[in-house]
Amino acid sequence: MMSHLSPLFVLLLQETSGGRFSATVEGVKHPDLSKFLVIAAILFIIGVAGVLTRRNLLVIFMSIELILNAANLNFIAFSRYWQDIGGGNPLAGQVFTVFIIVVAAAEAAIGLGIVIALYRNRETIWIDEIDLMKW
Amino acid sequence: MILSGWETVFFWTFSIAAILAGLLTVMARNAVHSALFLISSLVSVAALFILLGAEFIAGVQILVYVGGVMVLFLFVIMLVNVGAEEEGRSPIFNRPPQVAAALVFSLFLVLGLLYAINGAYGGPKDKEKAQQTASAREAREQRLQTGATGVSRITTETERVGRSLYTYAALPFEIASLLLLVAIIGSVMLARTLKQEASADDVDAEVLGQAPPAETGTDI
Repeated sequence: MMSHLSPLFVLLLQETSGGRFSATVEGVKHPDLSKFLVIAAILFIIGVAGVLTRRNLLVIFMSIELILNAANLNFIAFSRYWQDIGGGNPLAGQVFTVFIIVVAAAEAAIGLGIVIALYRNRETIWIDEIDLMKW
Repeated sequence: MILSGWETVFFWTFSIAAILAGLLTVMARNAVHSALFLISSLVSVAALFILLGAEFIAGVQILVYVGGVMVLFLFVIMLVNVGAEEEGRSPIFNRPPQVAAALVFSLFLVLGLLYAINGAYGGPKDKEKAQQTASAREAREQRLQTGATGVSRITTETERVGRSLYTYAALPFEIASLLLLVAIIGSVMLARTLKQEASADDVDAEVLGQAPPAETGTDI
């Protein structure tokens, strides 16, 4: 179904952007971009599975880092793709990745602070025992 | 980009390493092992960044993630002991129905993502154009200055990223610095003990400690 819809997306992109993306659209069939995307997708899904299945709060945080990292890989792959085909600002992906890393660092600092405060109060970091607000 | 020759070997080595280390991060019983596997996954992804020509991001990834965030994780794992999980006395995963539901959800996610990627960017359909851009890039790289050893070339990638950060993304850059400031102050506020809180806020410790009496004196 996706392959039938993709010309529609292409048309929409061209119409809404005033032809800015025509260069991108021409080069969309790019040989090795999809390999990086598949690797990033697999990493993302491993991270999602970790968030959903583990009991240990710290390992859940690590799985979130895995998810963010998969997004970074996607951004860098598309940045390289734009460098190759010459569309838009080719370094936008790398700049965005820097911001993702910054936000991940801030999130880790705050999250681990919460983990320490929680452990001090409840003596546990297992998410199925932290159910005070659950009914 | 088109992977050629040793690039293919490099790509498959590090992508398989990243995926295996990611899987082991989720599966490991000991949280310290999880952290170490996550470090190796992050390093493998940094190698993929180098393959994609993003040397600066690869360096930032190693320095910030592996050098900063993961060390913080290891500190917290050491502070919060999870002995029961390591010794096998308690399960590492949630209850079986939850795990089954999560795995079914992940399976749907796998199918959807792979289908979408194959639909939109499938296959080597436009090899000539890609070959052209690759050779153009190679020619561009040949014009770069050589390094001190005369073997490798000095790219201007980092310089361009820096210029982009200060022009194209100047406002988000400032906002990110504010976010980091908030994170520093917030984590200090969150992690202090009741005693420290009482002395900093000039409140009588007895007033703060009245409701849960067992909490005072657990300095970590």
